[in-house]
Formats: sequence, structure tokens, C-alpha cells
Amino acid sequence: MGVVKVKQKYKWKWYEKFYFISISAGMLTTMKYFLKCAILRKQVTVQYPEEIRPLSSRFRGRHTLKRDNKGRERCTSCFCCMWVCPAQCIHIEAAKVPENEKENYPEDKYAKVFNIDTLRCIFCGLCEEACPKGAIYLDGGIPMPEDDRDDFLITKDILLEKEGGPIIGTRM
Amino acid sequence: MVTITVDGKEYSVDENKNLVDALKEVGIHIPTFCYHPKLSVAGLCRLCLIEIEGVPKLQIGCGTAVKDGMKIIVTSEKIIKAREAIMEFQLINHPLDCPVCDKAGECKLQDYSFSSGTSTTRYKENKRTTPEEEIGDNLLINHNRCIMCLRCVRFQKEILNDPRLERIHRGNQSMIGCISNGKDEGKKLIDHNYQGALSDLCPVGALLNKDMLYKSRVWWYDRTQSICHGCSSLCKITVDVKNNEVYRYMPPEDPYNNGYFICDQGRFSAEDFTKERLFSYAYKGINKKSPDVFSEIKNTWQNAQSIVFVGGTTESNESLEKIKEIIQSMIKTGKNVKWEYKTMQYMWESNWAEEVDFLMTSDKRPNSKKAREVIEGPFSNEKDFIAALKNADIIFSLNEFSAPYSYRINDENELSENILYKIFENENLWGKIINLTTHDNNASKKALASFPVKAMTEIENSFTDKKGEIKKTKISVRPPEGLRNTAEVLEYFINSVERQTAIA
Repeated sequence: MGVVKVKQKYKWKWYEKFYFISISAGMLTTMKYFLKCAILRKQVTVQYPEEIRPLSSRFRGRHTLKRDNKGRERCTSCFCCMWVCPAQCIHIEAAKVPENEKENYPEDKYAKVFNIDTLRCIFCGLCEEACPKGAIYLDGGIPMPEDDRDDFLITKDILLEKEGGPIIGTRM
Repeated sequence: MVTITVDGKEYSVDENKNLVDALKEVGIHIPTFCYHPKLSVAGLCRLCLIEIEGVPKLQIGCGTAVKDGMKIIVTSEKIIKAREAIMEFQLINHPLDCPVCDKAGECKLQDYSFSSGTSTTRYKENKRTTPEEEIGDNLLINHNRCIMCLRCVRFQKEILNDPRLERIHRGNQSMIGCISNGKDEGKKLIDHNYQGALSDLCPVGALLNKDMLYKSRVWWYDRTQSICHGCSSLCKITVDVKNNEVYRYMPPEDPYNNGYFICDQGRFSAEDFTKERLFSYAYKGINKKSPDVFSEIKNTWQNAQSIVFVGGTTESNESLEKIKEIIQSMIKTGKNVKWEYKTMQYMWESNWAEEVDFLMTSDKRPNSKKAREVIEGPFSNEKDFIAALKNADIIFSLNEFSAPYSYRINDENELSENILYKIFENENLWGKIINLTTHDNNASKKALASFPVKAMTEIENSFTDKKGEIKKTKISVRPPEGLRNTAEVLEYFINSVERQTAIA
């Protein structure tokens, strides 16, 4: 059987075997940035996490639940975000608002439990789009690493920590 | 059958029906709120307006009888405009709380607002607001959402003969109120067996059941056509399942059989099949693998001479036939086997499938008709039965201590009211009972051995109702792998005990 030789192995020339040209080209780039940072002070890195770069207004980070201008929770537990979520990371349990807490909620129905599993979340922002009340936004910044798996499950009190928030339809 | 012309096309329709029903049969849908096929015509919502040739004004479809050679128009500029105006009128006081409302997704107002309504309103006054009110022990009314179709009022009057709901006040202030029905003074709250039907009948989310409030949303449910296990009427239902859990039973849109309604007894027992289930074999209340349980009770089984089977009224036709075969083969081996289906007090009386109301019967077992045909029932009274239980070496209880049949899950005293449970307790018989059950309760812990079986929502079998009609269930919930139905469990038990002795 005849064998077809498709490609022959590249033969190095004698001077190429010393890697002179490649190494000096690499070192030149390194030296260029070293001079730029050390003498001209134009470095691009920051000391994260002590120093945090300003995020884009469209950045999708950790979830927050919003309140309206009277301080009431906007979420009425309509399950739209839970329904639309492609990663199925949102878990809501709805309940009727107790008699003595009526001033905290705009409607009769509220979210008794509102959990988001950030390990499952893919930060697609569909929950934000689906919400008819403007209650959930992904503007909580970059989610921090945790030591424990359970700490990635963020509950309602963590979600509601950020007071105030944007008006319906806009982002901060 | 007569011929009528609709939008220039000729159709032959049933002349005994009104226009809405007759056109529905030939595939033309006329939107309605107040019209219900089982209730009288009220003509309140004016949404079913149609044009009739020769009549100057628009007419309501629900109040028009079919006549031969009638020429009508259902889709014209005039009708579309009229419907838009009606929808705007219906929505002046209706709040925009679809995210909160439990009816959203199956709400007629929502559907017709999208199909026939406009997106804007010219109404500038404040919306009328009235706080939510309790009108039954399981019924809430949200007056804001009510569109005054008076379906609930007519249902109470015409079907239940209990005129306790009425429209009170007038004009913009009118609302549904609970009044005295004239029979018993002072007692105003609704406490009958059809509160679920009332909330189901409501085309909007004005009437709601407290038990089901805010539990889920309707678009999540997977629906299967099946039958209700609540009593021997075996009403046709759709089983609504979410995440492999039964959430609710709904009546089918079907004028025959139980005709649009089911009772609360059946409707709210839906979740009984998903809670507190037994999914493991148990020996004296301790969960074990099936071969271990079988080897524990092997000696008792082999030495047993007189065996009593108890129950069978909850089993399907196929299962009953198979159990009978098993029992006959046991008799051939020289054992004294008796099978008694009468386990409830009322079963010892002669006539026990009495109608409680227009749907429900007093007999709470799904397949008692077939059980009475298949099982001889050797005992004529309760005393003989108890004496036989005392003398028996092994007693098999076939699904007698399972939730919807003998007790309700949320009930506090659970099984203590059950007669069979009382007998077992008083005579101290728990040491020889093999309990085939779906639920993990006191009975399954006390019994010598407990075998898990499939519930009615997990099997595809046929049942016989009180009139002798055969109805089929469908698998609506996926059971855990390896779970068997009652007859299969018995077969598995006998076969594996035989195999164990053959090896030994």
C-alpha cells in the first residue's frame, strides 16, 4: 500500500535553533511595558480587591431587590423571574401579607422566601427583564468568593440590603 | 338540525341550543363572561354581541335561540367596536394586579382583554376599592376584581338551591354579598361542599380558595385527564402536576359526566398523594430492604394456616382480578384464606352508594362496585369479622390505612377515627398485620411489616363507578423506580419468600 505524505516536518535552520529572534522580540515587549509603567506611570492593573474599577452601567453582577419611594418592597411574588430563569436558580415561596405588616408591602401577596443560588446563576439578566414591578436588578457588584457552599445561597435579607435603588425601567 | 348562515358560510347546527353553544360545536367561538352552559341565561356582560340580519340593533348570542335560515354576522367592524367598548367598561374598576392574582393564566378577562379589548382606557376617576372579605370557611372574595357576571349567585340558586349569595347595592357600588338564605337565621358564611367549584366558576379572580392561595401559578402545571378517587362517583378530572407533585384537581370542560363541576372533597384531597408517602419496605416500623423484611416474616408466613385479606375497595379492576388469582392459588396449597372488603361502618348496611348531593356519594371508596362483584365477602356481620381477625395468623390490609381513603393528611387525629384501626388497637392485632399502604403513618409503624404500593395517580388502570361504567386513570405522577401496585407487591412477596426457602 502506498502512503501519501501530506506534510513534511519543518526543518529548522541552524540559526533558528538558538531562539535568538523570538526571545529578543518577547523581551522587547516586556521592556516596553516596564518602561511605560516604571517611568511614564501608565500602568493598567489595579490592586483588586482593595481597589475596584468603576463598573459599566450595563454590568450584570449580584442581584438586589428594590423598594419603592415609600420604602415598601416592590416584589409581589408573581413568580415571573422564577419562571423565566434558564438556570432555575430562583426559589420563591409566596404568602399572604400579615395584618400588622400591611404598610411594608404594596399588595396582599409577598415573597416569604426569596432565595437565589449564585452558583447556579448564569447572570443572563432575564429575571430583570421579566420583572413587571422593577423589583430585581443585577446591580449588586461583583459576587465575592465564599468559604462555604451554603454561603452562595443569597436570601431575601441580603438581597434587600441595598436601600433605595433605581426607578422602574432604569439602571443605576 | 337546522341550517344557519354565519359570516356568509352555511352551517348545520342543533336547533335546541342557544347560539353560543350551537356555534361552539361547529368551531366558532363567541366570547362570554356571564354565560355558563349549566346555568340560566342572564345576559349581563354583553360581550357575546352578534349581528342578526333584519334586526337593527346588536343582539346577545347567549340569549338568542337558533332558528332555521337565520343569517348572522359574528366578525364585523360594528361587533369588534362594540366588544372593545364592553371590555373598556368591564375594566374600569378592575385593578391591574395580574402578577398577584391566582387566576392569571386561566382568567377569561385577561384572555378577552388581549383578544377583544384595547390597551387604553378613557376612564379618569379613581377606581372603586373595597377590602377583601371572607364569605366562606374556604372562600375569599376580592370585590375589586369582580365584574358582576353573577355566575356564583346563579350557581347557588339554581344548582345548590341555597340562595345565600346575592348582589347588594347598585350601580357602580354593586357587589356580591353573603345574605341569610331564609332557612337558618344568622348563619351567613358559606360552608358547603362546592366552594372550589364557586372559585372555579368565577371568570376572574374575585372568588378564591384560602387553601390554594398563592401556592403556584397556573402556567406551570402539566395536565393529565384522569378520574377522581374521592368517592364511588369517579368524576372525570384533570390532574395538575408541577415538579412531579400533584397540586390540584380541576373539572374538565365537558358537559357530560360530572359536567363542569367537582366537589371540594375530591378537589382538595389532591395533595394527599404527594405528602408523607411510604417509599420503603418496613419491619416493625424500621425501614429495611425488601429481602430483609421478607426473611424476617418468612417463618410467620409459612406457619400461617388462616389468612385474612382486608379491603380491596380502593384497588383497580385489574388489581382485584389478580389478587383473586393469587388468593385462589393460596387456597390450593391448603391454606384457609378469607377476603373481606367491608371495612367501614356503612359497608355493613345494605344500600351504601347513596347520593349526598348532585355529584358526591356517601361511599368514599373508588372501586367498591367492582369489589363487591369480585369479592364474596364471607362475613355477614361485624362480630364474625372481628372473631375471624382474632383467629387469623396473618392479616393483609390492602391500602386500608392510606390517606385520602381513611383520613386526611392535615387532620390532627389522623387514623384514630378509622374503624379498622380501632379494632386492631382494641384487640391488639398489630403483631400479625402486613400493611400494604401508600402512606407513612401510625399504622405503618405499628404493623408487623409494611409494603409500599403505588397511589392512584401513579397507575394506569380501570375503575368501575357506582353505575357500573368503567373509567380509566392515567399516570400523572412518575412513581419512584421499583414501586409496585398492590397485586404486584403480593406476587413479589410470595415469589421471593418461595425462592428464599428453595435456596435455604
